[in-house]
Amino acid sequence: MGRGRAPGIGTVSPNSLITARSISWAPVEGEPVLGPLDLEVVPGESVAVLGPNGAGKTTLVRLLSGVLSPTTGGLRWQSEPYEALTRRALAREIGYLPQDREETVPLTIRELVALSRYPHRPFWSTGLTGADRGAVERALETTRMGPLSHRPLVELSGGERQMAFLTAVAAQEASLWILDEPTRHLDPRHCLQVASLLRARHEAGTTLLFVTHDLSLAANLATRVVVLEAGRIAADGPPERILEPASLEQLFDAPFHVHRDGEETLVGLRYP
Amino acid sequence: MKSPTSRSWKLLLLAAGTLVVVVVAPTVGSHPVSLADAFRGDPTASTILWKLRLPRVLLALLGGGLLASSGAAFQTLFRNPLAEPYTLGVASGGALGASLAFLVAGGRAGALLPVAGLAAFGGALAATFLVLLLGRRSGVGSHGLLLAGVAVALTCQALILFVQYLADATETLRMVRWMMGGLGVVGYREVLWVLPWALLTLGGLFLWRWELDLLLAGEEMAAGRGVALGRLRLIVLLLVSLGVGALVAVAGPIGFVGLIVPHLLRGWIGPGHRILLPACFLVGGGFLVLCDLGARTLLAPAELPVGIVTALLGGPFFLWVLRRRRTG
Repeated sequence: MGRGRAPGIGTVSPNSLITARSISWAPVEGEPVLGPLDLEVVPGESVAVLGPNGAGKTTLVRLLSGVLSPTTGGLRWQSEPYEALTRRALAREIGYLPQDREETVPLTIRELVALSRYPHRPFWSTGLTGADRGAVERALETTRMGPLSHRPLVELSGGERQMAFLTAVAAQEASLWILDEPTRHLDPRHCLQVASLLRARHEAGTTLLFVTHDLSLAANLATRVVVLEAGRIAADGPPERILEPASLEQLFDAPFHVHRDGEETLVGLRYP
Repeated sequence: MKSPTSRSWKLLLLAAGTLVVVVVAPTVGSHPVSLADAFRGDPTASTILWKLRLPRVLLALLGGGLLASSGAAFQTLFRNPLAEPYTLGVASGGALGASLAFLVAGGRAGALLPVAGLAAFGGALAATFLVLLLGRRSGVGSHGLLLAGVAVALTCQALILFVQYLADATETLRMVRWMMGGLGVVGYREVLWVLPWALLTLGGLFLWRWELDLLLAGEEMAAGRGVALGRLRLIVLLLVSLGVGALVAVAGPIGFVGLIVPHLLRGWIGPGHRILLPACFLVGGGFLVLCDLGARTLLAPAELPVGIVTALLGGPFFLWVLRRRRTG
């Protein structure tokens, strides 16, 4: 957890969680779909990643969470290059919710959540420690999934399943959550449930970075908005500056209206 | 829901069942032998029981257990219920290696178990690495691997036919018989040869049970929870090629045990690998002992290669799995 010099890939801000320098990714023998770009995530932020379909949002969060390695450039967790960390060590710091979430997971919620303690478990241990069991119970409590915890994921509705996966992320007790479309395919009630969970986690000190198409969610949950376009960062700044009609229209090539009501902001498409 | 205790009880039940099969199977055959006679020291009975049938039953137990546990790990790893060592090139690669050893060593190969064994290892490992290499180039993740595995298996089978064509008539006949899969051993040499490799494979797979469990939630979920997928694939493929290579060298490729057993058990005892892997060993072992019993007795005094028995059961089962997947 040291900080300081960062040989090779340029400077590292002393207190960034993630520092990405000139990262790009291209499929084997294919055109690059992302980058090169620079990005930093600092503690306590809540970063919304927006952008049109195919802009490279999912590739970006897969790179940041370490499940995919960049074709060029380098990533650091604090001062450690990702290559120097094991997947398990990185998973203790970053809890990642992928976009492709299986619908036929043959595990119960409690089994999935307990398995998510994997990065904390020594290789030789045979079961959960007391600390693991505590983390599982806390996670089930934060998402209020306790009463459903014995049910297999295949039997759950889409919204319940999403809460189950988020419970698994919570049990990892990472300091940064990277979430790929956490409210995708959810009905309004479950969207609200996910949003309030994320707000509570953020207020409790967890750093968030999430991909979304829901601009109102971004406006109400994010402290910073990053807009991707054709694999590059097209805008990066506070939500008040980016989530306003003129810049949105330019970024998404569609008309928007923004309505502010006290703490709350509504961002919507201007339908014909 | 399957509680941990009910799963443990089921495992105990399977262990008892397998024990009964292993004790009873050696007494059954073209010439029934009673355990009492063998223990009393009746020379014919003890020769048949201790020298002929027990080694064979033990080899079937180890082999079946190895194939079924490997199949369970492969099905989770490749996220496909039709994956097993036989369909994925590992067994075919091993068979190709052993065939080459038979061709080169001629009639002496039977006396040179370690040579055939090493050749089978080499073949299984070469096939595995080819699968990894091709899989990496042909697509992302497990789908690319699965396609590469099928392609390598088919190529190996074609090469085996070529090797058989090159061999002289007696040798060809021997190879063809061996390719049918058989457990017709005399004495404990083969059992003692397979034992350490089987233990290595089974123990190794069991050590990786948590990672395999996480794979049930999807590859991205597993990676996000800290599973190093590339390393896990490499290790499981290596472990399975070692065990299956060793088995193929003595018994030939025996198909479908690794397909049927894990598939049926997963429904009954749940998908968690801590229980599933040992259960697959027990049931796979017991199943192959029974198949071999059928092979010994159905056409007695003639013997059927056990690979034919498992294939006759496995082919229709394969179709049933496909059908159920389409409708379910």
